[in-house]
Amino acid sequence: MTRCVMPRASYDPAVRTLTLGVPRERAPREKRVAIVPGVVAKLKELGFEVVVESGAGEAAGYGDDSYRDVGATIAAASDGPYREGGASAYGCDVVVKVMPFETDEIAKLREGATTISLLYPARNPELVKALAARGVTAIALDKIPRITRAQKMDVLSSMANLAGYRAVLEAAAAFQGFFGAQVTAAGTERPARILVIGAGVAGLAAIAAGRALGAEVRAFDVRAAAKEQVESLGGKFLTVELEESGEGAGGYAKSMSKEFIEAEMALFRAQAKEVDVIVTTALVPGAKAPILVGDDVVACLKPGSVVVDLAAEQGGNCSLTKPGEAVVPEGVTILGYTDLPSRMATTASRFFAGNVLALLSDMARGVAGGEAGFRVDLEDEVVRAATLTHGGQELPPPPPPEPSPPAPKKDAPTIAKKPEPKPESATGAIVFGILMAVAFTLVAFYAPDAFVQRFTVFILACFVGWQVVWAVAPALHTPLMSVTNAVSGIVLVGGLLQAAPGGSSLAVILGLCALLVATINVAGGFFVTDRMLGMFKKGGPR
Amino acid sequence: MSPQAVTVAYLASAVLFIVGIKGFAKPDTAKTGNALTILGMLIAVAVTGFVAFSATTEGLPFVAGTIAIGAVIGGLLARSLPMTAMPELVGLLNSFGGLAAVFVGISSYLAPGHVYATEAERNVHLVECWLGVAIGSLTFTGSVVAWAKLRGTLSGKPLLLPGRHLLNLALVGATIGLAWPFVGEASTDAGLTWILALTAITGVLGITLVLAIGGADMPVVISLLNSYSGWAGAMTGFVLQNDVLIVSGAIVGSSGIILTIVMCRGMNRSVLNVVFGGFGTEGGGPARKVEGEVRELDVAGVAAALSTAKEVVIVPGYGMAVARAQHPVKELVELVQAKGGRVRFAIHPVAGRLPGHMNVLLAEAGVPYDLVHEMETINADFPKTDVVLVIGANDIVNPAAVDDPNSAIAGMPVLHVWESALTVVFKRSLGAGYAGVDNALFLHERTRMLFGDAKKTADALVGALRSL
Repeated sequence: MTRCVMPRASYDPAVRTLTLGVPRERAPREKRVAIVPGVVAKLKELGFEVVVESGAGEAAGYGDDSYRDVGATIAAASDGPYREGGASAYGCDVVVKVMPFETDEIAKLREGATTISLLYPARNPELVKALAARGVTAIALDKIPRITRAQKMDVLSSMANLAGYRAVLEAAAAFQGFFGAQVTAAGTERPARILVIGAGVAGLAAIAAGRALGAEVRAFDVRAAAKEQVESLGGKFLTVELEESGEGAGGYAKSMSKEFIEAEMALFRAQAKEVDVIVTTALVPGAKAPILVGDDVVACLKPGSVVVDLAAEQGGNCSLTKPGEAVVPEGVTILGYTDLPSRMATTASRFFAGNVLALLSDMARGVAGGEAGFRVDLEDEVVRAATLTHGGQELPPPPPPEPSPPAPKKDAPTIAKKPEPKPESATGAIVFGILMAVAFTLVAFYAPDAFVQRFTVFILACFVGWQVVWAVAPALHTPLMSVTNAVSGIVLVGGLLQAAPGGSSLAVILGLCALLVATINVAGGFFVTDRMLGMFKKGGPR
Repeated sequence: MSPQAVTVAYLASAVLFIVGIKGFAKPDTAKTGNALTILGMLIAVAVTGFVAFSATTEGLPFVAGTIAIGAVIGGLLARSLPMTAMPELVGLLNSFGGLAAVFVGISSYLAPGHVYATEAERNVHLVECWLGVAIGSLTFTGSVVAWAKLRGTLSGKPLLLPGRHLLNLALVGATIGLAWPFVGEASTDAGLTWILALTAITGVLGITLVLAIGGADMPVVISLLNSYSGWAGAMTGFVLQNDVLIVSGAIVGSSGIILTIVMCRGMNRSVLNVVFGGFGTEGGGPARKVEGEVRELDVAGVAAALSTAKEVVIVPGYGMAVARAQHPVKELVELVQAKGGRVRFAIHPVAGRLPGHMNVLLAEAGVPYDLVHEMETINADFPKTDVVLVIGANDIVNPAAVDDPNSAIAGMPVLHVWESALTVVFKRSLGAGYAGVDNALFLHERTRMLFGDAKKTADALVGALRSL
């Protein structure tokens, strides 16, 4: 285990804090900020002194004063190189950004510092090299494994949620009609139809947003597990008639066979004729996004339809997507915005900061009390997966996580929790068997012929009754009880025989008494059964 | 009628009983089944009438009058009582069956003219009488006590007499032991004393046995006693050498045993454990204390939750029956359906005081039976359920059965309502259920309590949902 409590920024032994820098984002159109004032107090508790570059939160609605108010230090916008002791956001022990550090930014970092940001190492190998060369511990938020424990740190999920929501709003803005159904004096409108391709976090958010606006939403995903989630949000789950699971590692879908893709394309073409909006969210980790909405699918769309391509940053799921732009070929609007979360910068920043705080809190576990800081524990599954460079070296990628279990996984815990029934005791069966054997022996050797015949009837009737009654529906157990109760009143037959003339007067009177109570039993039982059964009815079609 | 014709008619009657009860396999065919069973009964009675009065019709008006009176009383009882009183009625009717068996047994013993071919034949006949009376008497008093407990005339709490196991054992011993002097008795008058003593002894046994059983276990007792009345009928059949009695008695006996088994499985207890008590005294260590604060929700809050819920499951219990809340609950179902939610009912095998008790009440209120599901089929759906309404149920939704091995109800299958997004518990007060076990469900973070009478609460909910 590599334990490294980070050195303090200031060498004054009385101050037991680390500095955490928040630079202004450099990327064009990026309005988010990595740390919001709301988490500064919690970062202080963890022992961090927060240094925010002037203007870092401006675009997201968090002015310098709002940071100052909660006790953060505002550093002047610094474009110069790192200076020892200088109050630059880049000069801190930990530097947190949203977007990957650019080459000139890396030059401003101090050796031994830790960076936390999105990095996309597959697309930015040279940046990872530069970070390693600078002697920086680089933690890539986009490499945090998608396991339950790390959910609270999962920036990709929190941003995808925003992107999915925003995608539908952008589509609604570009769409020339209502999303919800309208019945007005001026005319009637059916609800808009949205097709969501890929029901990951973004896809599910898009489904929810579309439904909330009143649209009819269908969704497609190669993973069978998605069906339940889609339906839970009120979407209709589309399937192709081919048995193949697309469940891949880490919650992503894997690539599918040629036959499957052909069936998929046919489905999309058919759907395109019906829908008004297509939202695509299909990403394959570390690779170019697959083309799902080709020219042929776009050609099937009505003019005025909208395609929102959430995979635009990785090339796009639509063949006509221009990343970062809106294009309108042949009347169909294709939105390839790559900055959807940034268009909701205030909330996006708050979520991003929340994820970073969760990561830092997790890494602070086990640091001695009173000691500020955190550890880069390479034995920890989450930290190991997200740490790309450490001690001047690039770390090799960790083994991939296990794929999540297939579709019916939700039921599994329920089954597991089912209590163990007490084993049925064999003693009862043995005792019963012995008694039966004794009874049979007695009957066989002692009883007269007529009795043996009746005994035969009795035993056979028991078996018949046993078979017949087990078939009774549990809902009808009460009527069954009352009908058998009525049948048990057949003792009245006995009463009738006894009440017939010829016996002693006492015997006849007893017979009549038996007759009376047994008839009450029979009549009451049958009437009540009939009354109950009269109430059972099946639900008609509503 | 020739003896062959009588035999064939009895055979037809027995076949009708079997086919009729088979009809109860499905709600669609149950009504026909009941009609066939009635037909079987009519044939049996008519044929017996022919046999009994073949020689002379003297006394026939008495017999016909008695039957008519009995039929009217039975019909009135069945029609006048509300559906919620059904368990009591079954218990009461059952006691009549037992009483009739006692009368027939004694009467048969007193009836002269038995010519026994052999000593063995006589002994067998006397033992049959003895058993018929014993089982009949036990059924009679046991059913009366069960009826009183279900009505509330007697406390539902088990009455545990000191040394009751010994007492019961002594009574059973006496029942068997007294058979020897009875069979050996040549004089009918002296024999009558023996048989009356037997009636008293087994009567007391019926009382002590059922008094010791708690109100919650009455369904098991009723079905067990129902089974006994079947066996008593079969014994009478042996006494009177009548096959239709034997067959119908055996069917009733089997059905009672099966229902008893079904209910005991529902509670994960053995029949012996139910009948001889000892409930809650086994198992190591004390049951976990349930502590915390309950959270309440008002009617408006529940109505709001219901109006947006997609999946609603209602779990009814005996409390719904007591409050007669099934009618407003039915209205509730329709309102939620109108708002686009799916409503289903989850029925625990031992909910209520009879097996299938809840089904009958819901049917009375007009709830279609395809909305009503058994525990096994619906238990896996609770994680996907938005709102669960628990109406007057307690032990059958207690998570302690699953997660507290020291609980008195540990291992009993229960409805996993706590897995849903929101559970609303309708309850009169914060008391423990019949099993006297605390319920952690009430303190669960996703549980809200709605205190009050179930009927009034359901009515208020209906009003609140209407005005939304």
